[in-house]
Amino acid sequence: MTIPDRALDLLPWLIATLLVAAIVHIVSVLLMPALAPRDARARLAAYARTAAPEEGLVVLPPMAPGAETLPFEDPAFAEAVCVYDLAKGPLRIKTTVDGDDFLGLSFHANAGRIYHSMTDRSAIKGKIDIVLGDARQIDAITSADEGDAPPPSEVRLTAPTKRGFILIRSFAKRPSEQERARSRLSAISCERFDLPQG
Amino acid sequence: MDLKPYANYLRAASAMIAGLGIGLLATVLSLNAGYGFNSLRAGPWTAWPQIGGADIDPYARAVISRSGEAPLGRDQGLAFIARTDSNGAPLDAACEYRIVDPLPAARFWTIALASPDGRLLANPAERYGYSSVDVLRKDGGAFEIDVARDARPGNWLSPGAARDFVVMLRLYDTPLDVESRPDPQSFPKIVKLRCA
Repeated sequence: MTIPDRALDLLPWLIATLLVAAIVHIVSVLLMPALAPRDARARLAAYARTAAPEEGLVVLPPMAPGAETLPFEDPAFAEAVCVYDLAKGPLRIKTTVDGDDFLGLSFHANAGRIYHSMTDRSAIKGKIDIVLGDARQIDAITSADEGDAPPPSEVRLTAPTKRGFILIRSFAKRPSEQERARSRLSAISCERFDLPQG
Repeated sequence: MDLKPYANYLRAASAMIAGLGIGLLATVLSLNAGYGFNSLRAGPWTAWPQIGGADIDPYARAVISRSGEAPLGRDQGLAFIARTDSNGAPLDAACEYRIVDPLPAARFWTIALASPDGRLLANPAERYGYSSVDVLRKDGGAFEIDVARDARPGNWLSPGAARDFVVMLRLYDTPLDVESRPDPQSFPKIVKLRCA
């Protein structure tokens, strides 16, 4: 048996190795969001459980070295989170904005995808009023609208997954304004409500 | 013992094991390389605009869920990270740097230090960053931020006792076009002053 013969003999096994490697690589990357034990939702839910046993808005503790709830957050901000599970019902997020102070809301689905984000600039008449539900809940709310009633004042948002979280960031212009930024966060409500009957 | 009848089984088994190893290695390497595809580069600064939207790619999703971060939404702003100075040398906490004008258009910006894995760096001044509102400016609006372990007059950020750090530049409500290559001249420079 010559050496080229032997190399040719091993070639199919080499190809098989690379195929297995490619499949393992793709599967492990795709499964990572489902399997990662300490993703942002897990971290936020763990904090929310210790801070307030009931659902709703939880203001995160001030950022300090060693006491960050999430990595890579801007230290100039105060933050609050609303960790939700839509299986229990749709949510309403409401607040007023004064037009000057930055307020950012980002809606995160399970597995690291942001499906909606906004700032206080897209508030309507100084108000942010968002109804969040899965496709079935939003359908039920839409079909409960009266035929000739004025269009709804709230923004209706369909969440791609039942579980997720809303992260709210409030800008403190200078370190001394952290308290004010936090009080703006506590004024936000994130509450579950019952679907209209009908 | 004669292994000849089992040679193909042995080869199949080693192909499986080697494939598993190579595949997992490729995953680890690619996840450590950044947040997937389509990065936006300007001088030392890099951002990944697609991580803030619904069309995030699977690599970026894997990176984010492993690190546990919640990126900025695309409609909120853009976060840039610098791991090197403007000459391309890695940032070293033993050296002193100066971050100087200009900045791209935005409603406001913040510049902050962080550890390479995104934690705040403990420092004696308890100052982790500056914003466009509270940074001290010279006549005409220009500013400089000094990064050094020991106190400096003016705008001063300290990496504390850390050995490595990164600089985060965040632009909020920015009209920056993420589809085209930004002009590096419109981004701040990170100039190395001296090393200890």
